[in-house]
Amino acid sequence: MKIPTPLIHRYILYTKLLLFFGLIASCTKDPVREVTVSPPDTTTVPVSYKNGIFIINEGNYNWGNASVSVILPDKNLVIQDIFQKANSRSLGDVAESMKIKNNLGYLIVNNSNRIEVVTVDNFKSLTTIPGLNSPRFMEFVDSTKAYITNLQKNITVIDLRSNTISKVIKTATWTENLLKYDRYMLVTSIGKFSDPTSDRVPVVYVIDTQTDQIIDSILTGKEPIGMVIDKKQKVWVLCSGGYDNFEQPSLLRINPELRIIEKKFTFTEIGKVPSKLCINPTGDTLYYLNGGVYMMAVSASALPSQSLIPSEGRLLYGLAIHPLTGHIFVSDAKDYVQNGTAYQYNHTGTLLKEFQTGRIPGSFCFSESKSK
Amino acid sequence: MDSGLFIPNLRSDLSRIISEHSTIFIKSYGNGTLATPSFRGTSAQHTQVEWNGISLNSPMLGQMDFSQVPVSQFDGLEILYGAAGIARTSGAFGGIVDLITMPDWNNRINVLASQSIGSFSIYTTNLNLCFGSEKLQSHTKWNFTSAQNDFPFTNNNGVEVKQENASYYQYGLSQELFWKFKNRHLFSAKVWLSEDNRNLPPTTSNLDTNKTEKIHDRAVRAVLEYKLVDKGYNLLIRSALNDQYMNYSNSTIDMNSVHQTYSWINRIRFTWSKIKNLKIKPGIDFTYDWVRSDDYSGRKTRSLTSLFVELNYSFNKHFHSSLVLREDIIDFSLNPLIAALGVEYKPFNKYNFMLNLNLARNYRYPTLNDLYWQGAGNPDLKPELSYSTEAGTTFNWESKNKIVYLESNITGYYTWLYDMITWSPVEGNSALFKPENIDEIHARGIEAGLNLLLRISGFTIGWKNNYHFCRSTYEKANSTYDQKIGKQQIYIPENTLNSTLSIEKWKFFLNYNFFYVSARYTGKDNLTMMPGYNLSNIIFGKNITLKNFILSLQLDINNLFDLDYQSVASRPMPGINYSITVKLGFSGTKN
Repeated sequence: MKIPTPLIHRYILYTKLLLFFGLIASCTKDPVREVTVSPPDTTTVPVSYKNGIFIINEGNYNWGNASVSVILPDKNLVIQDIFQKANSRSLGDVAESMKIKNNLGYLIVNNSNRIEVVTVDNFKSLTTIPGLNSPRFMEFVDSTKAYITNLQKNITVIDLRSNTISKVIKTATWTENLLKYDRYMLVTSIGKFSDPTSDRVPVVYVIDTQTDQIIDSILTGKEPIGMVIDKKQKVWVLCSGGYDNFEQPSLLRINPELRIIEKKFTFTEIGKVPSKLCINPTGDTLYYLNGGVYMMAVSASALPSQSLIPSEGRLLYGLAIHPLTGHIFVSDAKDYVQNGTAYQYNHTGTLLKEFQTGRIPGSFCFSESKSK
Repeated sequence: MDSGLFIPNLRSDLSRIISEHSTIFIKSYGNGTLATPSFRGTSAQHTQVEWNGISLNSPMLGQMDFSQVPVSQFDGLEILYGAAGIARTSGAFGGIVDLITMPDWNNRINVLASQSIGSFSIYTTNLNLCFGSEKLQSHTKWNFTSAQNDFPFTNNNGVEVKQENASYYQYGLSQELFWKFKNRHLFSAKVWLSEDNRNLPPTTSNLDTNKTEKIHDRAVRAVLEYKLVDKGYNLLIRSALNDQYMNYSNSTIDMNSVHQTYSWINRIRFTWSKIKNLKIKPGIDFTYDWVRSDDYSGRKTRSLTSLFVELNYSFNKHFHSSLVLREDIIDFSLNPLIAALGVEYKPFNKYNFMLNLNLARNYRYPTLNDLYWQGAGNPDLKPELSYSTEAGTTFNWESKNKIVYLESNITGYYTWLYDMITWSPVEGNSALFKPENIDEIHARGIEAGLNLLLRISGFTIGWKNNYHFCRSTYEKANSTYDQKIGKQQIYIPENTLNSTLSIEKWKFFLNYNFFYVSARYTGKDNLTMMPGYNLSNIIFGKNITLKNFILSLQLDINNLFDLDYQSVASRPMPGINYSITVKLGFSGTKN
């Protein structure tokens, strides 16, 4: 059929007009939610995250933009927001940390008050453990049981067979880091959240994992936020001193058998708050952030005065040591209002690679197949 | 200089009135919660909100929450853009919104009672009593709102839930007296009490929360004013007290903090116009802020003395100019001079067509939180500096038979903002946020307005349009790793359009409001954003008058197309919702 030319013109005009109004009106179709402008990766082929290095991006408090990025070293690839991609929903508000056991990933989402359990290979959600009280960190007792620390005065015990809460261990104050030692779980406690002053009583609780009872506590410096164990079975506790420098930060060496402090190193620099205490795979070298990345042998007699990796204007925020290679993974959270960057250095501080991340990259998690 | 005065009809939402009459973008965190204004690509702290010329911005935060302002307490709204604000105060880089009350000397008695019932159990009651003579007028206004505000929304996990912990109540009581003496002297005394108690709802991703977070605000504002109007000069003397109490509590973190501020605000203005074509307006302002906060160590005070002069000179009847100079003295230390220069050109006698050009330099001082917040406050902050320029035209036209009335304006502006105070994490201590003079912002844009009024065969048809294009970008990086240079400021849209069509006939009224906002970025690197959306709202009603009585029935339908949207990420907004308002009034005027 032949259409008269003017009619076609009119038709085209109408179509253009429709398109124009459609552009405005099209927003009404889908729910208006935060989106990524142009995803930096274009991966469409299904990949397995089995050997991945996971970057947990906290996201901004109350913005609901927590995410997980994964580095696939074999493929030399980084993929953003894999939880959203696998489950068509966002991870939640403030993802604090991640742990892997039996090929399951446990994502601790602090301000969503839950743990998302995913299959590590594809990040598909398996189940959700709700009802926590601002959870922070997780540590496995064995393959059936794990402990979770909370801002709100308790430690939650999870039954890993059913992925449900089995018990709650009441504490006086906010609990933070966990470390398994023998049949005990050591848990740092910072003090009362609402009282960020000198009145906070910081301790390391000693919990008998068979009875789930607090059996002892060791008094530490203000804000014990980091804890690792070295090759000689000595526990190192990093005390930040408090974000407002309530006291000088300190690094303690605890004898977990005698439950006493054997050594105390005091930071003299005012205004900085050391954090993210890590240890290398051989258990003889400590790493921490204090602006830049610092390295210290467990046998050292003083704190290092020079950083291994200077911050150079970056806001270094997350730090982890690869459990096999000993490579240093450190993240830059920038000003918290833009996406971050992660850097991979070798153990002597030579930059190897850098990766894009999501908002506020705070912690790393290495896949099970590569951990000890 | 740009300004406008509007008399809103009695609707309850200030945010909507402002966006209908201006290009101000209101960032809303949800129904009944925080709503902050942004003028011309600047932040809420660059907008001064006033009540009869008295600043309502908190001296602690430097901004005002529009959700705390009940419209029924005011008779009008004045908006000053950009440089025009320098005549009132310093630091309002964006502009000024003034909520005003004024007497009607012809009024003898006016009683108004209104009740509205809305979706999500939102109830508002207003009672107004205004009476007096041609010399003395008294206004008494009372408002009360209680809201369950439990609207359904889809949470982060795709589950439809009802909003919890979102209820609020708000009441206000004001008493005003106006006394006119010998037609030259005007005395007024005003007191406004307000209180609100708001539960703050969790975000869409803050699940299973058992927390209760709430804010309790209480304010007492009182003002005494004297105005003298005489041939060749006038005088204004005003003294006001603003007492604001705020209690924030959050059970999750056992937090309960109280903030109490008192401000004593004084103004003297003199206008002298005895020389032909010249007006000289010297003045002095004195403000004293006193704050006691659980988050400050000890009591903090600040005094601000401001010396001011405005000169208006008309070269001829086409060409007018103005110069404003302001010198601020804060706690006995002199600050750099603030200045604005404006010219206005009306080329035609026949047509109401005007061109104007303004240049300004302005400073904004750090807020008391910026200076004194415990553990974070930074006493070394410099004031923010801005240079701005704007050029615009207005054209108003009325047909000879008075059937068509047209108002149009278009303005282009460019603002350079230096040393903007930004709260950022501290290197080496990422748990601590500190305010620093970090950002440099360039904001430029175009504002266009077109209003049409048609009176034809008993119909009154009004069509109001405001469009704003704004590029407000970061121009300085914090480090070489910073990705924000040249990127749009977060939560500032590039395009906003507001269009309102109103039709009146046989005392029926219909008002259709269309609002479009383009995408707002949520990251300074502009890699994440909230998509743009449009909303439609409708008001339909009828007025019935019988002698001196008026009965008015009104139906409001908000979010007509039931859009599932968020204006701010993770903050739910209600879908389609309704309210019905019944007003009953009695009025008697002179004769």
